[in-house]
Amino acid sequence: MKIIVVTPEGELYNEEVTSVIVSSANNGEYGILTGHLPIVSTIDTGFVRMTFNQLTYYVAIVNGLVQQVHDVITVIAQDAYIGESKESAFENLNQIRKARIESNRQRNLELAMAENELKKQIKQTGAGNI
Amino acid sequence: MSSMREIKNRITATSKTSQITKAMNMVSASKLRKADKQNRAFIPNKERIKSVLEDILATFIDVTHPLLTARETKRTGYILVTSDRGLAGPYNNNVLKAFKAHLAKNHANQEDFIVGTIGYKAFSFCKRNNFPMINSESVNSRDDLEFIDFQIMSRTFIKHYLDHKIDKIVIFYNHYVNTLTQTVETYTLLPISTLVKKKDDQVAEFLFEPSPQEVINQLLPIYLENTLFGIILDAKSSEHAARMTAMKNASDNAEEVITKLNLYYNRARQNAITKELTDIIGGANAVN
Repeated sequence: MKIIVVTPEGELYNEEVTSVIVSSANNGEYGILTGHLPIVSTIDTGFVRMTFNQLTYYVAIVNGLVQQVHDVITVIAQDAYIGESKESAFENLNQIRKARIESNRQRNLELAMAENELKKQIKQTGAGNI
Repeated sequence: MSSMREIKNRITATSKTSQITKAMNMVSASKLRKADKQNRAFIPNKERIKSVLEDILATFIDVTHPLLTARETKRTGYILVTSDRGLAGPYNNNVLKAFKAHLAKNHANQEDFIVGTIGYKAFSFCKRNNFPMINSESVNSRDDLEFIDFQIMSRTFIKHYLDHKIDKIVIFYNHYVNTLTQTVETYTLLPISTLVKKKDDQVAEFLFEPSPQEVINQLLPIYLENTLFGIILDAKSSEHAARMTAMKNASDNAEEVITKLNLYYNRARQNAITKELTDIIGGANAVN
């Protein structure tokens, strides 16, 4: 069985797995094994647990679609982060999101400051007036 | 005519400016390539979600959702997609002008519409004009765009639509045709009319977890955000293309100005030499 996790930045994960557990805050949990009927479900915030022999990985998913056809599972997500445990995957996700919001705020501040500075300069120099 | 020194200074200043515009042109060119690639890579993702939605709508006729049904328009929501920074030729102005013309034609008073902005230029434009706005802070239009950047705004819009506070959402943006052409286009995001209920026998027999209605409920907002994301990516390509063209023009103009100034400089230099010569000859004549 194969799993492909896709985000807008490209393919995050594309590997062979033996079993997958899909868990989402709104739908609860279910597992997919080889030979499962074609299935479609959604994840608002949740994770996908992938097991390959003894190895287990978690992918934290935000707003995603899970589709399984002919033993190929495709997860299309708006945001996804991989981790070795559920906690670390979510911590990774939250950390990056928090940093992003902070940097957006900072940018807004800088742009507003630059605009004010420009207005002040225009007033002082009388630029644009003949 | 200005003195030689003045002309020389102007030549140096203009060539410095042209260096900057040339660099900006090259930066935009490489950013455009990247944005275009991201834009293309995103299309299959979008299509996939769309096809799942269409499958559900085709198989289960009784599945409905308020986001899919059109109703009488009393209040419209607008999303303006612009850039954060200027120096992109008419890129921002075109969108804002088209939007202003549209408002003058369709809305007599400010109660009838609400604006959401992407990019600082649109934000400060709406603030200047005192338009009713949905976002109190500017939504950044970054080169490395992510869903989280505009998610708060898009979720508010969808909530307003479901609460009947607005009845339609229209996006104004620059569509990327090619490097030289970008056209201002409008796209009606809500109500959703792009999902065609096709009667196709090829529909795969899917299990929907937990139910088709639930999947639709959760997938529609995701689909909308993906559409908006796609449009912003398209606008991003346009922005880089517009900036590239503008900077190319600026570099060309600077070259032209430099050639002209060089001519003036040479003329001034020759004048000075002639003047000196006449002085020397005049002096020599006086001695003899």
